[in-house]
Amino acid sequence: MNPRTLLFLLPVLAASQGLDPKALRLFQPPADTWPTYNGDYSGRRYSPLAQINAANISSLIPVWTYRIAGVGPQRGVGNPVIKSTPLLVNGVLYFTIPDHVFAVDARRGRLLWQYDWEDHGGHLVGQRGVGMYGNWLYFLGPDGWFISLDAHTGKERWRKKVADEKLQYFTTTSTLVVKNHVLVGVGGDAMDVRGYLESRDPETGELQWRWWSEPEKPGDPGSDTWPNKAAMDHGGGMTWMPGTYDPDLNLLYWGTGNANPVYAGQSRKGANLWTASIVALNADTGKLAWWFQASPHDTHDWDNVETPVLFDATVDGRPRKLLAQAARCGYFFVLDRTDGKNLVSKGFVGVNWSKGVDGKGQPIPDPAKEPQVDGSLINIPGGGGTNWPPPSYNPDTGLFYVNAARGYSIAYLTDTDEQPEGYGGRGGGLITEAVLEALDVKTGNISWSHAYPSGTFGTSFSGILTTAGKLLFTGDPSQNLIAFDPASGKILWHYHLAQNVSNGPSTALLDGRQYLIVGAGDTLYAFAQRGAN
Amino acid sequence: MRMLCAISALALTALLPAQEPPAGGRGGRGGPALREFLGLGPPPDAEAAERGAKLFSPNCGFCHGEKANGASGPDLVRSPVVLHDEKGELIVPLLREGRPDKGMPAFAAMTSAQLSDIAQFLHLRVELTANRGTYKTLNVVTGDPKRGEQYFNGAGGCAACHSPTGDLAKIAARYPPDQLQNRFLWPGGGRGAARKVTVELPSGEKVSGTLARIDDFSVDLTDASGVRRSFNRDNGVRVDVEDRLTAHRALLDKYSDADIHDLTAYLVTLK
Repeated sequence: MNPRTLLFLLPVLAASQGLDPKALRLFQPPADTWPTYNGDYSGRRYSPLAQINAANISSLIPVWTYRIAGVGPQRGVGNPVIKSTPLLVNGVLYFTIPDHVFAVDARRGRLLWQYDWEDHGGHLVGQRGVGMYGNWLYFLGPDGWFISLDAHTGKERWRKKVADEKLQYFTTTSTLVVKNHVLVGVGGDAMDVRGYLESRDPETGELQWRWWSEPEKPGDPGSDTWPNKAAMDHGGGMTWMPGTYDPDLNLLYWGTGNANPVYAGQSRKGANLWTASIVALNADTGKLAWWFQASPHDTHDWDNVETPVLFDATVDGRPRKLLAQAARCGYFFVLDRTDGKNLVSKGFVGVNWSKGVDGKGQPIPDPAKEPQVDGSLINIPGGGGTNWPPPSYNPDTGLFYVNAARGYSIAYLTDTDEQPEGYGGRGGGLITEAVLEALDVKTGNISWSHAYPSGTFGTSFSGILTTAGKLLFTGDPSQNLIAFDPASGKILWHYHLAQNVSNGPSTALLDGRQYLIVGAGDTLYAFAQRGAN
Repeated sequence: MRMLCAISALALTALLPAQEPPAGGRGGRGGPALREFLGLGPPPDAEAAERGAKLFSPNCGFCHGEKANGASGPDLVRSPVVLHDEKGELIVPLLREGRPDKGMPAFAAMTSAQLSDIAQFLHLRVELTANRGTYKTLNVVTGDPKRGEQYFNGAGGCAACHSPTGDLAKIAARYPPDQLQNRFLWPGGGRGAARKVTVELPSGEKVSGTLARIDDFSVDLTDASGVRRSFNRDNGVRVDVEDRLTAHRALLDKYSDADIHDLTAYLVTLK
């Protein structure tokens, strides 16, 4: 075979072999591919594509929709809601809802195959999507099953048990593929289990390493932040959202959930490492490189799993490798991602639960604002200042965008036992207002904000995409898909959908035409310019 | 007080799970619905659990605690054996045979029905722990009613709009204390939810009614005759939404927790 023939065959080979590992990058995936949950490893959700832009946005129209059929109401949660961000590889979109995986032709919206899982427990609160390695997909059933599928056919290749749903673990995350590792996180708050993150072999599904969210035994590093081994063994710290990855540093950045018991902290005095934290782990070993705790001794259910977004910027004349997170506890953090050193800690909503920050930039919790039997007033809504829906960082504006929740709640302690269990209390919501905020990464100041007139996001919350076309796409709580000017917050365009945007919008170029892909409830929408191609 | 397009969210989500609230707000996620969501298996038999509690206390409580959450012996509520059991198939044989190697005696003299009742008691304990839809608020009446009355008439400014012998007469007979506390903090889910809106068209015509829906692009209202009307918010249309809860909202940034508890203690005297 001469080299010319080989060159001709390359695209065919690439298609048959699935995802090209070179598509997995820190910044900017190939224009025709969205290869991971966040598109690239950084979690910025910024696309360099500019075919759809502020000047021609009025020509954006829906070109197809795909509505999930035949699933019906799901156990305990109602009608299907697409929270996953579809992967787009070789012209095929792969997306999920709990118990189901769909492969849809990205150009036409036609179903290619569907995989159905029959769960035996676990929570169907969400499913964030699949990971991909070559021609293999990795999906999590809600009941702790890690399942590999053939991307061409949707046929199951193997399954491995990664969590015990009877202990109230559940599995909703999108798996993340890094080199020859598939990262698998877990959820579960109801029965005080111990959080962990696993790395599994993409070929066999076997365990490569497991990092636990708590120290193993008294005397180990971090154990001085717990009173005893029993508290650590039941300490929570779930890893239920995909993290980010810096290939040069070979570090994974992962958020951990709240400590357990959730609202009742009396049996776990101390900071409770490494719950409600960002942890940096060596991708090959799972060894902890550094940590930063967003909500020390959390007693408000403030999972710190919001995307740790990686970006590079010049600060005080020096190029820096940075990480930013708008955390559920209400603080916006900017850290140096090489060592975790803090640059910014600033409330983007009310933070009356804290007495300021310590020398490391970590909030200091106010014990008086822990849940009380007669209630303590918190100036953050019951669900926190934001939640899992993906934010975006735009290098053109230097702004970090988050759909935030402003408001108030009253935190009650309902289990006063010396050894409380489960939630042990609740954060009763008073006011929740949805607001899109643009945060300056150098100061944490709010550059602009847009309060949605209808108020709360309620049961679904929209993610954000920004592009080089000077556009920010997100959803409001009133079923509108909106394009904002990311520099000013001005609304440039909107389209009324049947349901709220329920995932993070994504984009890619196919046959020279830029598509915008959005999930809203049970329907996936594709938008493109009228008349293009 | 009127504000241009005042923004008051009326979210009253009582039970917020860790990840995100599934469908349904206050009252929408009671115990049984949440149990199904959690995938906890068959619900415990309440009568059997009550019989089981009477057996558990004298026979098991000394080592495992009255609430089965552990003492000198292990916590049974978070026990993998209990959590894997559905209707006694794992627990009953274990009770019958004991765990002599770990110092747990065999309860061979008990009948299968009695052992099964103990298993149901343990399942009830799991239910009351894992299922936050079953949680009850404890005593919120901890403040000083006299100070609460002073706050009502003084710093709180409540007396400007409310009267203990007028609109608040016998308010404590209508709501239990915890609901009363939540409602004065934010009455948005009650009468405050109905907001008056006035839409001023470019012609100068004004249309008023009760706000039905609003977003950045349109506003719907129900007018005095009960007809729902919708307006686009472009081309110079002005929208004014009345906000009767401004004073309640402002207090949320002023209250100390003691102020709140004193007010609650005062309001519960209005029977």
